[in-house]
Amino acid sequence: MSVPLVDPAELLAMRGRLRVFAQYDRDVRESADVVVVGSGPAGSVVAYELAAAGRDVILLEEGPPFTPSEFTLEGGLSMARTMRESGLRTTTGSIMPTMQAICLGGGSLVNSAICVRPPAFVFDAWSEMFELEHTTRAELETHFDAVGEFLGIAPTPEDVLGKRNTLFRDGCDALGISSEPIARNVRGCKGTGECFTGCRNRAKQSMDISYIPEALRLGTRVFTSVQVQHILSEGTRVRGVEGQVVEPFTGKRSYKLHFDAQLVVLAAGCMATPVLLQKSGNLANRSDQVGRNLQFHPGVAVAGVFPEPIDVQFGATQGYQSLEFLDRGFKLESLWAPPAVMAVRTPGFGHELLQHFSAIPRTAAWDAICSTHRSLGTVRARRGATLDPALRWHLHPDDAPLLREALHTLARLFFAAGAERILPGVARLAPVMHSADEARVLLTEAVQGRDLVTGGNHVFSTTRMHGRADEGVVDEIGRCHDLDNLYIADTGIFPRCPSVNPMYTAMALARRQAHAIADRL
Amino acid sequence: MIAAVKLAAAILVVLLGLGLRRLLGGYPTTSRSYRHLRRREIALLRATTDAMFPARGAVPVSGADVDAPGYVDAWFDVLHPLRRFQIRLLLLFFEQVTLFFWAPGPRGWRRFSALSLQQRIEVLRGWYSSHWFARRLVFTALRSVLGIAYLGDPATMRFLRVAPYDFASPVLDADVLYPPIGQGPDEIVYGPEDRGSPADGVPIDLDGPIHPDYAERPL
Repeated sequence: MSVPLVDPAELLAMRGRLRVFAQYDRDVRESADVVVVGSGPAGSVVAYELAAAGRDVILLEEGPPFTPSEFTLEGGLSMARTMRESGLRTTTGSIMPTMQAICLGGGSLVNSAICVRPPAFVFDAWSEMFELEHTTRAELETHFDAVGEFLGIAPTPEDVLGKRNTLFRDGCDALGISSEPIARNVRGCKGTGECFTGCRNRAKQSMDISYIPEALRLGTRVFTSVQVQHILSEGTRVRGVEGQVVEPFTGKRSYKLHFDAQLVVLAAGCMATPVLLQKSGNLANRSDQVGRNLQFHPGVAVAGVFPEPIDVQFGATQGYQSLEFLDRGFKLESLWAPPAVMAVRTPGFGHELLQHFSAIPRTAAWDAICSTHRSLGTVRARRGATLDPALRWHLHPDDAPLLREALHTLARLFFAAGAERILPGVARLAPVMHSADEARVLLTEAVQGRDLVTGGNHVFSTTRMHGRADEGVVDEIGRCHDLDNLYIADTGIFPRCPSVNPMYTAMALARRQAHAIADRL
Repeated sequence: MIAAVKLAAAILVVLLGLGLRRLLGGYPTTSRSYRHLRRREIALLRATTDAMFPARGAVPVSGADVDAPGYVDAWFDVLHPLRRFQIRLLLLFFEQVTLFFWAPGPRGWRRFSALSLQQRIEVLRGWYSSHWFARRLVFTALRSVLGIAYLGDPATMRFLRVAPYDFASPVLDADVLYPPIGQGPDEIVYGPEDRGSPADGVPIDLDGPIHPDYAERPL
């Protein structure tokens, strides 16, 4: 579906519905049918669908809108500008970096656009374990289809895969492992590999260029640079939200904002929504589950050096995947990120480090995201007016074998694809391995959890849905068990990790939720 | 008794003076100004990048060629205040780390930035290969800061063939809606008439020009 150009007069009217930092010169008080907190994939879908159903919607976002002239092409500075806590957020307990975007469009601006429908067994487990009768793959299919059509979700075309991705395919083929091009919300990819710093080619259909302009066209008012600090409630109903204007990057607070609404949808992200509830008088927490059950898809990555240059700069950021091991608990993907970001995993210092860097033109990196269901944590509010959370999470010892198996499989893939050596990135082991035989050590208990460099950017379950009010925060459509008109739409409602990249599922669930809300308003 | 107290006070004053001198004294002035960095942080950054990315290595751009203090100063501009404080603590800690783990060789107790190149390399090696997880973690944090400064340098990126390409971004509806960050709607660069075709899906030309911010500048 190609998006037709909006009429110029209408476009200027849409401009009038967007408020940015420079436009605030006094306190603000507004009202709407629905206030949506957070403009990431879930919040944007809810706002658009409700606006399409004729409801009066306000969408709030703490970050600013970015345009290509403001994308920073270098990884470190880019993360500092687009991520909360400058991209340096980590868990305590088992120390693991994790990120959350702060910009219009949320994570969709800086993710690699991966859209995967979880297999039926994921939803079957959700239904069975969490008493969610209607959250089946079959019942969500229409919502997946609608989101997919809106965003042009399609497999990555062959001509923009590049060698980084096709070598991944070669490795899978050589080992007899199934693989496929990754379906992405992208139209017209040039293969510049810049997904993580913002798509200059405007091909990635991030929320700021897809759902949000359409929501604006349908009358939604969008307020950026707004930090929501408090949910206003009375008995079993919420009345709206309060917050303050925050300056981009500095976070300096100024004017107060007050939004009255018949209904509030929280889509501030799995790490901020529980904080907001906790700071609003421990709202919606009769079950004592708010901020609990924190889960990640811890990612492990291996770099492989090939004999010839592989034009690492070219190709879809993440263009190929294997779902072969999903039922065992991990998913394999090709990966690219700015070298500055990847360098964290590079071993050594001095001449040894430079030797590794010099091989970057011949180096591919592939990763595995792991479904570590036993590894849980908590999200707690910090003092002061901030939604930045205190995160505590532990990698459960029983989940460590899964990470080891994933690492070893990645190592095998590289050697099968023709890599001359790999950098497994595991402390206390050889920093470089030259054969699949040598890499077998990755499967052994020589690899402990703390030796691994993991990253966890898929975050779940801190306000989980459950059929029973004493076991979960929200019901099947995301409505809080304790409050009649407060909904949650982000990945916090996932009852457990979904085994695949979560954006698509979050959007499908958000669409279902929006339709349910529209029916009752 | 009074004499003992006076002696103790004198010793305390001397120790305090020595401590302050170690903390603040003797750092060279810099010819350029930095918005955030202090002289001791600049000295530490130069001393560590020099040892972390040595000259005559496999990449012809050495740590000394890279403006790490300039990068970190620009980074501090947009860094979350708590994280900026933590990075500052990390730099301060590493500068004084020889108080706890002396460098091998003569006068190994001097500040990190005052050590010889060989001594600095040995100190880094000790932290990199330590059996203590906490020491390896501190080293990794420092290396990450230096690594992003080093790999973010245009000369390094050009050599490694990862410098971004130059191409024009299509102008979409969204580009007519959003002003530059910090500015109002009057500053929006594009009008409705500037909109053109969306992304065409033609693969980038690998022999095409490098983005001007990363291209080699004529001397």
